This record gives sequence, structure tokens and C-alpha cells, in this order.
Amino acid sequence: MPRAIEVYQVNSIFQELREVMMLIRLYSVSKVYPNGAVGLLNVDTYIRQGEFVFLVGPSGAGKTTFMNLLTRQVLPTQGQVIVDGRNVVRMRPSEVPYLRRAVRMIFQDYKLLPNKTAYENVAFALRVTEANPRQVRTRVMESLELVGLACKARAYPGELSGGEQQRVSIARAIVGDPTILLADEPTGNLDLDTSWGIMELLLRINKRGTTVIMATHNRSIVNGMMRRVIELDGGKIVRDDERGAYRREAGHGMVLPG
Amino acid sequence: MRLATVWYFLAEGWRSARRNVSLISLGTIAASLFVLGALALILMNLNHVSQLLQARIEIRAFLEDGLLPEGVAAIRAQIQATDGVAQVTFVSKDEGLRRLRGQLGEHAGILDVVGENPLPDAFDVRVEDADRTAQVAARISRIPGVLGVNYGQGFTEKLLATMRLVGVAGAVVAALFVAAVVFIVGNTIRLTVISRAREIEVMKLVGATDWFIRWPFLVEGMVLGLVGAAISGLLLFAGYNLAVRYITGLAPFIPVITAPEPVAALCVALLLMGVLMGAVAGGVFVKRYLRV
Repeated sequence: MPRAIEVYQVNSIFQELREVMMLIRLYSVSKVYPNGAVGLLNVDTYIRQGEFVFLVGPSGAGKTTFMNLLTRQVLPTQGQVIVDGRNVVRMRPSEVPYLRRAVRMIFQDYKLLPNKTAYENVAFALRVTEANPRQVRTRVMESLELVGLACKARAYPGELSGGEQQRVSIARAIVGDPTILLADEPTGNLDLDTSWGIMELLLRINKRGTTVIMATHNRSIVNGMMRRVIELDGGKIVRDDERGAYRREAGHGMVLPG
Repeated sequence: MRLATVWYFLAEGWRSARRNVSLISLGTIAASLFVLGALALILMNLNHVSQLLQARIEIRAFLEDGLLPEGVAAIRAQIQATDGVAQVTFVSKDEGLRRLRGQLGEHAGILDVVGENPLPDAFDVRVEDADRTAQVAARISRIPGVLGVNYGQGFTEKLLATMRLVGVAGAVVAALFVAAVVFIVGNTIRLTVISRAREIEVMKLVGATDWFIRWPFLVEGMVLGLVGAAISGLLLFAGYNLAVRYITGLAPFIPVITAPEPVAALCVALLLMGVLMGAVAGGVFVKRYLRV
């Protein structure tokens, strides 16, 4: 029957398309640190282009290891990590800087340079990646405008509030137009109102097409956003909900086998 | 590489060199390079002296009395055929006496006491390689009709041995001082790496290449090496001119190098060495302290 073959072909093309759309793919990835601590244990997962994903779980569950694998700050002891079509495990060390231009990170402690102004901090990320010097000014100001801090471009980090500092660090992360934004507890040091401001900003960046992965302990934010939630515990994925809450509730969510 | 990037490297390197260098480290670099340069000057002068002396080293082969002109010609041919001989000149009895008179100067009267010319006919032999003077002299002395040879036995060997010893000792000391310079520059750069750990961390995070991170440190090392070498070069140039004036006043017969060119060339070499050592130190140490 020619019709059956057609359906099969369509299915196969669809399957392939899905694979192509996977921005991030982890194939049975394990990371055991030299001291014996387990970062991740046999993790298989994927993240699609344009997704907004929360990583939750207790401290030491493997959230940070997960993120550090994507920027090749650590290498897995086993398995393969594919980011945007590139095998992170097998790439040459000289390719790593280019991976990190596409996968940017923000942190709980912002990691801003205290002796540089907000503007200089953002421009620094462009300069050290050898961006066209003529575009630096426009791109930095665009970025600062997006995070709502164009008026404080000349302020030093010490003169800014925690929330403002995080905004500067987000501006620095997005100024290079990354494909993926990793946020490791970005609201960890901020009060709830400021945190929501940051979340709105991250959502806006996500809507522009950047995939956002955020590790957090903030229950109300996760519950309020209703986005995909990957829960880690002891290095394993114990839950992966498309529209999940911070904690798994009875009868809610799908439990994946380790 | 963009011009702006090159400018960034130079500016960063220069700034951190200025921020982290101390008088002690710069002084030590300059002093080490000064000692290196001084050693090189001493070696250059010794070499100069030995070359002058070597040019003068000749073997004189005295001939037996009463040889026929054909016999003398045969001996000349044999000497000429000896391995390592560059040039042979005949010095007759009379010529020899005249030269001796010239050398004795006011004491020439002593020769009149002797009366008859006591000198035999002789050949002056110039050798190709001063190192082999003794060997060539021994061969010539075995030629029949040669009474004996004279080439300042012992002195040549001693001079050459001294030169070699000074050369080896100089090389060892020089190696130590090179190591000292590299170490001091490396240590200064280590301070920079530590003081800028955060900046380096951010650079890595946003995707700066390793070479981009490393270049400012190379520049810093080169700046340190260059400044140290410039100081030592100036001191060396001035010091050498003073020393030359002193020596020529004290002992004018010692043939020191007085032309400014070789000394200037040495100073330029010192500058290049300073830059090179700084760059090597910068490259090696940064690689060690920058864990990607």
C-alpha cells in the first residue's frame, strides 16, 4: 500500500525534525568527581530550541554540574553532550571559547568586575571576544536598555542594588546574542519583588528566541511560571514535567525512571 | 587580528606591568642583565686579545748550518706540505739579525760583543688554526735539516685554555642569570594573574580565547624585560666607557675594544634578550597559572 509507506516516511521525517530541533541532548551522561562525589548519574534528556526550563532539586543534586557540562567547565566521565549540533565532549579545547559565546551564564553572585562601570562590564564581554569595535557602543546600550539600566550605564557595581547588578550581568550575557542562557540561582540573593522583575526579564529574553535554563530553589517562582521542570536528586532526573510545579504533588506529574 | 585588539593587549600589558612591578624586581632584572652584559664584554675583550695574539703566533723553524740552496728549498716545500700550515717565509741569517737588533732597541750593542752572527737561517711559519700550533710545530721539527722550532711553547696553550675556561664559567653564570630574570618576570606576572583572577574568570566565561587572555601577560613580560634591559644597557654603556678610559690610562699596552659599535651592538642584543626572556616567562608562567 503506497499510503502506508507515505505515513511511515512522514513519521520518519517528523522524527528527524524533532532530533534536529533538539538544541541540547544528553546521552547517558555521568559525572563523578575525582573525590568520588556524584554530579550526574546516567542522565538522558533533551532541551528544545526556545524552551524555558527550570532545574530544581536539593543542593548537591547535580544542577550546577548539569550547567557546567553545557559550557564544558567540566567534562562527563561517561556519555555524550550535544549542544546546538556540536559534541561538547569531543570538541577541541580551541573550540571551547566559541561554545561559550553561544552558551552564556549568569550567577547568584553576578560575577561583575567591581572596577568597571556597568557599561564597561557589558562592553568587556564584547571586547574580549573581538567584536567589531564600531558596534560595541550600540550593542551595549541596546542591551542595557533591554534590562532597563541605560540610565545607570556609568555606575559601578558597588553603587547598584543587587537586582540592578543582576540586570547588568544579564545584559552582559545577552549582549553577544547567545543561543542559550544558563542561569544558576539568579535570584538567590534577591527579595521576591526584585526576583520577579528578573524573571520577567528572563521571559522577555526567552521570547526573543534564547533558550533559558534556570536552576533555582525559589518555589514561588517555579510555581508561578508553570514551565517545564526537571527535578534532579542524587545526580538523577527524578521528574520531568512539561508544565510543572516546584514539588511533585500526589497524582501530578510524570515520574521518569532514573 | 584587529588593530583595536592589538591596542588592547599593549594597553593592558603596559598597565599591569606598571601596577605590579616593584623597584626590587625591576632592579634585580636590570642587575642580572647587567652582569650578563658585563660577562659578554669581558669575553668579547678576551676574544679580541686572543685574536690579536693568535695573529702574531708564528712558528720559527731554525735550519742547520751549511745547507745548500737546494736543501733549503726542499725543506721549504716539506714545511709547505705539512697539514695546517698557512704561510711560510724565509728569514735569512742577516734578516734575522736585523730583526733582533730592532727588537732589542737600545740594548742592541750586546750583539756587537758577540761579533759574528750567531743566528741560523730560519723559516717563519704561520698556522691556519692556533689550536694546532703545537702539533704543527712538532711535525716541522721532525723534518730533516730542521735544527729546532720555537713557537712560545706553553704560552699559546695556556692562553687558549684560559679562554675556554672563562667561556664555560661565563656560560654557566649567564645561564643562572637568565634563569633569575625569567623567574623574577614570571613571579611578577603571577601577581598579575592572582590580582586579576576574577577578570580572567569572566573572560573565560564569555568566551575569550586562551591566546586573547594570554597576550597581555606576554606584553607585560616583554615590557618588564625591555625596561630592565634598557636600564642595564645604559649602565653598561656608560660603565664600559669609564672602564676603558681607566684601563687605557693605567695600562695602555692592554688592547681593549674601544670602538663603540660592538658595545652598542651588545646593548641592542641585551634589549632583544630582555624582551625575549620576558615573553618566554610570560608565556610559560601564564600557561601554568591559567587553568582553563
